[in-house]
Parts: sequence; structure tokens; C-alpha cells
Amino acid sequence: MISNISIALMNGIVWGLIMALIALGLNLIFGLLHVINMAHGALYMLGAVAAWYLIELTGSFWIALIIAPLFVGIVGIMIERGLIRTIEDKPIITIICTFGIMLVIQELVLMIFGGAPRRIDSPITQRFPIFELQYPAMRIMIAFISIILMSGLWIFLKKTKYGLWMRAVVQDREMAVGLGIPVTKVYMWTFAVGSALAAFSGVLAAPIVSVEFMMGREVLIMAFIIVIVGGMGNLAGSVVAAVLISLIQGVGSIFVSPSMAMVFSLAILIIVLLVRPQGLFGE
Amino acid sequence: MELKRTKSTEKGILKKEISRRDFIKTTAMGAAGLGIGSWLTVPFTYGAEPPIRIGMFNEYSVFATEYGYWMGKVAKTAVAKMNAEGGIAGRKIELFDYDTKCDPKWAASMFRKMVLEDKVDMVMGSIHSGVQKACFPLAEEYKVPLFSGGAMTYEFTGKDAIPYYIRNHSHARSQALAGWKWAFDNLGKKWTFLNADYAWGHSLAREFGTLIKAAGGKTQDIFAPPATADFIPYLQKVDPDTEVLFTAFLGTAALGVLRQTVEIGLHKRLQRYTVICCTEGIGQEVVGKESIGAYYIEYHPRHLDQVPKELHPYEMAYRKACGVDENGKEIGNPKVTIAGSHMYSMWIYPYQIKLAIEQTGWKNRNNNADMIRAIRSQKLKAGPWCPIGDLVMREQDHQGFSDFYISKVEPDLKLKVIERVPKEKVMYPPETDLTKKI
Repeated sequence: MISNISIALMNGIVWGLIMALIALGLNLIFGLLHVINMAHGALYMLGAVAAWYLIELTGSFWIALIIAPLFVGIVGIMIERGLIRTIEDKPIITIICTFGIMLVIQELVLMIFGGAPRRIDSPITQRFPIFELQYPAMRIMIAFISIILMSGLWIFLKKTKYGLWMRAVVQDREMAVGLGIPVTKVYMWTFAVGSALAAFSGVLAAPIVSVEFMMGREVLIMAFIIVIVGGMGNLAGSVVAAVLISLIQGVGSIFVSPSMAMVFSLAILIIVLLVRPQGLFGE
Repeated sequence: MELKRTKSTEKGILKKEISRRDFIKTTAMGAAGLGIGSWLTVPFTYGAEPPIRIGMFNEYSVFATEYGYWMGKVAKTAVAKMNAEGGIAGRKIELFDYDTKCDPKWAASMFRKMVLEDKVDMVMGSIHSGVQKACFPLAEEYKVPLFSGGAMTYEFTGKDAIPYYIRNHSHARSQALAGWKWAFDNLGKKWTFLNADYAWGHSLAREFGTLIKAAGGKTQDIFAPPATADFIPYLQKVDPDTEVLFTAFLGTAALGVLRQTVEIGLHKRLQRYTVICCTEGIGQEVVGKESIGAYYIEYHPRHLDQVPKELHPYEMAYRKACGVDENGKEIGNPKVTIAGSHMYSMWIYPYQIKLAIEQTGWKNRNNNADMIRAIRSQKLKAGPWCPIGDLVMREQDHQGFSDFYISKVEPDLKLKVIERVPKEKVMYPPETDLTKKI
């Protein structure tokens, strides 16, 4: 039982941090652009697929971890510049548009990458014992990388000029324009950073879950749950909600069936929507 | 008659005056040329009987696309080969190909479209049980046979069977009958089933579990959502005394469960067993070294050298036609692996249809009942159109039976056959009698 609880806690935190990274990107884009990005799961998948090609080319997971998010960030810029910008004031249209982008990315990957899942080898194969079971060191590494990335994002938002601009635009777009902040550029970079965060998660999760053109679908649903529970536009709320939900699922699955533990997280979503529609930590 | 000629070089070819004799001669030569040309290239001439129209749908998008790719490719190859050999009863075969999108409602609408607009005489394909079930009422309504591509729900040829459904491949019950005894005797008597939480996963757990418990073994059932990414919460729940861990998932989940079993060290204390459906169309190098030592039930060996020797000539010809090498990879594209335990159904169906049509004198859809009666009583011998070995169809439930194989993943990641299970061992008593209905 103790080993089960230890693994459940550790696993809940690790998955929570991966999910937090995905949800952060989604929430960042929503917070600034007010765009509900239905293509976010597809960008997560695209990151993993790009990493697979890069690893085939270079043999290095770590190079893929840097270049794949950059590539997806550029894709994000193209999406924002080419499509979102023209419809950014029409929320319903942006949902339909990003849904279309999701389908296009999925089908393109299906055409080029194929439908069969592919494997990305874990760069760290060590495992450490927890009572009679073992826990893979790679997952701990993923958790650390996620923390580093989130800290980096926090520093970017709090300590850099672009971060300041982004926060200013979130607070008052018109005033920001009046003060000479290049709002369109801020939008573009926000979409790029959000997309890159999704790609980072895709690359980090790939050694655990394998790569497939539909891998973003399930993740997107969970990311939306996290964003709603944590508070739309509230980045810290997303991180806390992601870890909280994953822990509830992980520890809950010791006592009830894991599928039932998943139901708990949906129940939490419903309760939050009823009691605190602005999310646990506010918008 | 005097011919009046002008020099085309002077007046241009369009201005050239042509006599009546020239006109008739040139036209006749042209017509003869066209006639001979078309006779040489197409075995089906104008005035021949209309083509036999076969509808096909497979999973080309959304999910299980690795299956759809091969099911479609093999069917098209088989039909092209049959047409090149003169078609069926001198009639060309036309194939109408659609995507099920893994969506039963959509697939049913495609079935209706094929029947009403494309005027197909029969439909084949799809590994999706939900898709097939959704098309059952239409198959009955229009009296159009539905040939299962790879649906594994055994009830389709059991208590839910309909007269217009034919299945020449395995399903959950026959897989359990083929795979349980050897594993029970050699791998262990305490089993845990960690399967996908939908009909297929439950069906396998039930079929295997019933046999294991009846033989005095012990079972534990764990079900996880089909698209599970993290299996650690589920693997934690495996009973400590489990000797055999049977898993059944598709796609990335199938890879995930095998890899994560190794990640937490469970593989050291139990044997891993599964059906090839889980990693069909996925190269063992993709599944990875974590699969070494795992056991699979195959319905036809992936590697040519694992195919029984007596089938080699047929198998080699079949692979060559479909563009498959001896390791079960697509020729020219070694990253693509065959769905070898499933795709043979689409190679054999056109042949079964051909035999039935030629035997019954089938002319059109109105004679479909005759065709079904002929197909369900077929006993095919191993041959170029039946490379899997002898295939026996059963009249009562329209279910086909062929040999099974139990394989182990070797250190070189090859699926090595360690046991061949003859079809006679998987022939359970029929649960229905369709001979009274059609």
C-alpha cells in the first residue's frame, strides 16, 4: 500500500506538471488573445512528430527537445498571422477556425507520418526502486524540465520587456496601444510561445506515450478541464489545478478503479462550474 | 475516278482534299486499330455483361489507420489481379472504396450510399465492430452481403448473427480457444487482464477468463480507457501473485502498456501475453525492446520464415503481389509494417465471391441468397488465393476457421512461432443456425 501511494503521488505530480505545461500554453493564448485554441492538442502532437523526425535525423532527444518547439512556435506564428489575426474579434469563428486547423494538421500528419504509432526512445533508462516496484528516472527528469520551463515562463512574463507588454495588453489593450506597445507583435509572440509550450509537452511526453497523429485529442480535453478549474487566463491557477487533478486521479485510483478516478476529475469540473464558474483561483 | 491531290506542304494539312476512298480507308484502319488496341489491353469488351460491383469501406482516418491502409491495399491488389485474369465469369469487378472514419453512423450512411447510388452487389471491409453492427440492418434490408474485414466481436457470428453477414477470419472466442491452453500450461495459472474498456477488451477478458477459471485458474480484470497514456495507476493494481498479464489495447496505448510494464519492473515477475491485434501494422522495432519475451497470438505469421513450409509458395506470391517483403515490411517503405493477421481476409473474399458466383450462376443482387449459401459451405484448400492454409466456412453461423499461431518476441525483435494451433481446436459449437433463415 505504501509503495502504491508513493508511486501514485509521484506519478500524479509528474503527469500534473506535463499537463500544466500544455494547459499553460492554452491559457496563455486565451488570456491574451481570448482565443479558445482547439488546435492546441494538434500542436502538442506536432511537437512530438517533429521530435520523432529530428531524432531520426540527429539521434539526439535533447536536440529535438529544443528544435521541435521552435518549429511549432513558427507554425504558431503562421497560424496567428495568417488566420487568427483576421478573425480575432469573433470568438465563435476562432473556435471553428482553430478546429479546422486541428483537422488540417492531423490529416497532414496522417498523410506524411502515417497512421501507425512510432516510438521515441527514452534518453534516460535508469529506474529506481520503490518498495517492490520501480519508477522510471525519465519521468522525474520530465518533471524537472517542466518546472524549469514554467519558471522560465514566469521570469519571461515578470522580468522582460515582452513579458511586461504581454501583461499590459491583458490588462488594457486600448491603453497598451495608446502607450505605443506593439500589440499585434505581442499577440503573435504569445501565440508562438503558447504553441511552443504545447510542443514541449509533446516532446516530453513522447517517450512515455509514443507518437501518433491522434495523440492530441485526449490531452486537449484534459487541458480544457485544467484551464476551467484553474481559472481562464490564470496561469498559476492552471499549474495548481493540473497537479491537483492528476494527484486526485492517481491517489484515487488506488482505492477505486482508475476509470472511476477519472470520473472524479470530471465531477470536480462540474462542481467548479456550478460553484465557482470563474475557476478555483479566479480569472 | 481521278484523284485530285494537292501538296499539303503548300496548303496545310487541313486544306488537303480527301477522296471518298481515302476517307473510308483511313476511317476503317483507325477503327480497326482502336478495336484491336482495346481488345489487347482490356479483357472486357463492349457488349459484355455489366461489371460486378463490390463496395468496400475501411478505417482510413481517425483511428486504426494502419489496418485500413493494408485492408484497402490488399483488396485493390486482389481485385486488380482477378480482373487481369479475366474477372469473375467473364465480368469485370469494380471496387467502390470509402472511409468509415471509425464512425458507425457515418459508415452506415456510406453503406447506404454504396447500395443505392453506386449500386454495389456486396460490401466488404472494416475492422470496427461498431461499424459492422451499424450496417447489419442495412445488409438485411437491402439483402446485400457484408463481408467482415476484421471485426472481432464473436457474437456477430453467434447470437447476433444475421444471414447477410460473412466472416472468414478469427474473433475473440476463437482467439481464446486457440491461445488459452498453451499459455495456461506453460505461462501460468493466475491471470490478470488489463484490457481496453470497451466491447473488444471485455470480450477477450470474458472469453479467456471463462476458460481459465473452468480449468481451475484465477483471474483478475482491470479495464482502462482505450486511449490511456499513463498505465502506472493500472499496473499498480495488478495482483502480486499474477503469473500472466494479458493486455489488449490498440495504437499508442498498446505500446504504452508494454513499455510501462517494463518501466516499473513488472515484467520480471510475470509473463506478458497479448493478441497481435494490439500491434498489427506496427513494427516490432517500434514496440521496442520492452516487448522482448512477450507472447502473442497471431492469426497468420508476420515473418515469411515463420509461415509453415507447405504454404511458402502461396505466401511468397501473395506477398509479392501486395508489395510485402519477408519481414512483413512494405517493399520500398520499410517503416511500414503489414497487418498480416488481418489483411488476408480481403485477399480471400474476392476469391470466395468468384467461386460462389461461378458455382451458382449468380447474375445480380437478386441472386445474393444463392451466393451466400455457396460461400458459407466453402472449404478452401491452401493455394494462391488462400495463402493462410485451409479455410473452412461453417454453414450455421457463416464463420470461417483457419490455423492460429502462438509467437514469442525474440531478442532480435522477431516474432518467432512456438506453437501452431490447428483450426479444429478452435471450432466451438455454433450458437445459431442461419441455414433456417436463408
